[in-house]
Amino acid sequence: MSTNGHYSFPPELYYDGATHVWVRYADGEATLGLDALGLESLGDMAYVSLPVVGRPVNRGEAIGSLEAAKMVGDLLAPVSGAIAARNEAVLRDPALVNADPYGAGWLVRLTPAQWERESAELIHGAALLAWVAAEIERYRTQGWID
Amino acid sequence: MRLITDDHVTAAFGLAADDCLAGRVGAGESEPTLRLYTYRSHCALVGRFQNVANEVHREYCEAHGLPINRRPTGGGAIIMGADQLGVALTLPGRGDDSYSHARELMAQFSAGVVKGLNALGVNASFRRKNDIEVNGRKVVGLGIYRAPSGGLLFHASLLVGLDLPLMLRILRTPFEKISDKAIATVADRITTVRRETGRELEVAEVRARVADGYAAAFGLELDSGDFTHTELQAIANLQSQKYESDDWIFQTTAVPDAAGAAKLKTESGLIDAQVTLAGHTLKAVFIGGDFFVGEGALAELEAALRWRSTDPAAVAAALTQAYTARAAELAALPLTALIQVVQQAIRRAQVVEASARSDPYGCFVNPETSGATAKEQVLTGVTQFNGQSTLKQGA
Repeated sequence: MSTNGHYSFPPELYYDGATHVWVRYADGEATLGLDALGLESLGDMAYVSLPVVGRPVNRGEAIGSLEAAKMVGDLLAPVSGAIAARNEAVLRDPALVNADPYGAGWLVRLTPAQWERESAELIHGAALLAWVAAEIERYRTQGWID
Repeated sequence: MRLITDDHVTAAFGLAADDCLAGRVGAGESEPTLRLYTYRSHCALVGRFQNVANEVHREYCEAHGLPINRRPTGGGAIIMGADQLGVALTLPGRGDDSYSHARELMAQFSAGVVKGLNALGVNASFRRKNDIEVNGRKVVGLGIYRAPSGGLLFHASLLVGLDLPLMLRILRTPFEKISDKAIATVADRITTVRRETGRELEVAEVRARVADGYAAAFGLELDSGDFTHTELQAIANLQSQKYESDDWIFQTTAVPDAAGAAKLKTESGLIDAQVTLAGHTLKAVFIGGDFFVGEGALAELEAALRWRSTDPAAVAAALTQAYTARAAELAALPLTALIQVVQQAIRRAQVVEASARSDPYGCFVNPETSGATAKEQVLTGVTQFNGQSTLKQGA
């Protein structure tokens, strides 16, 4: 799905409405990244730090940091679990996050501990279109995007 | 809003207090606070993700007992001491804007500093995404950190005064030695409140004007206060666990630094560009040559490129925009040639970085210091470099 032909939000993914982190769930693993709208307002990614493999994380906990436009923010886990992998290529080349946010720009992969319960708090399926439209409108109104 | 003023703090305490308050204010455990403070002279503070080895002369700092530490906020390396006013504004933030609108926040939070400077007669303004400048010269460096609790920390370092030769001894720059020319080049890119006012202002006077500036900008009263006992305990914990830990201070990033330079002879004269990259981001830029342009105009072009993407189109767009704003003063510097030479310098830096990456145990030897080594290789061997530099202070 593409909204306004500009911001892409693949419909098979889950989205954390507060952080614009996307989640791809497959074969018992959740892959995370930042969605197109979040990245548009953030700007070019300069640095990324990610957790070590094996670390347990709780939903809402910081699992890394990002720097773009001299603003540093933590990457917050959208679901609980254990870190299964991190994208080493992105650590060396954070521009991948902007260039291919849903592909080569993924950030971490984790094994969810409570997927059924926590994924219900993410935006997915029928709710996605309305959320995307509302978020784009909100970002435009605030002047965060053109 | 609470106003805390403290002076001569250590690097570890100063940063731990700001970080701690950001987390607590976001969680509703502490009240929003404006802290206006100074560090004990002197310390070197690198940006959140910078490699100390690439930014600071560690051996000089250790020999002279100057602490090195790492800010939670982004940006470049700075020195702080009794003549640099630290500004730390901690606010609750809003839960639904986790990573967004840095530029808007930066402009909004800068307003108090700008008003304070204006009240002192300094014609300062917020420019682009990260600078408070006076006629193209940086006088305040800015950065923002959003804590996991949602709390926002806005950091600013305001140069009331600055010992330029000391800064050049502490921070790594392409200068081979600290010459009058090097100092003059630096002085053309940054400025201080004392220089702009022509007065030997005390930091206390600047601090008072900045406090008034925030009160006016936010339309609120500032109540002088201090850290609570609970806050001091939390700060002490964070200080010992994080800001006194080598794991925090000397952590390294996988994003490589690289430097490149290029020269181009035009009908107007020689144009000389030198860049330092952090991955695909332009960390520092120097433009020089034997042409005449308006005061501060080159610094403005350089600032327009800093912390931008190295993408050729982005470089051209940033330069074109900055150039247009001061076209008359830059008439002797052809825009097309300028874009060409900056892009060429970037390409050369990328070639050096790529060779270091593909052969990490080759000529650049140590992967952890490959950035600095690559930089030295470019400056001393691969290109002709005239010894001039970009600036870091107030980055």
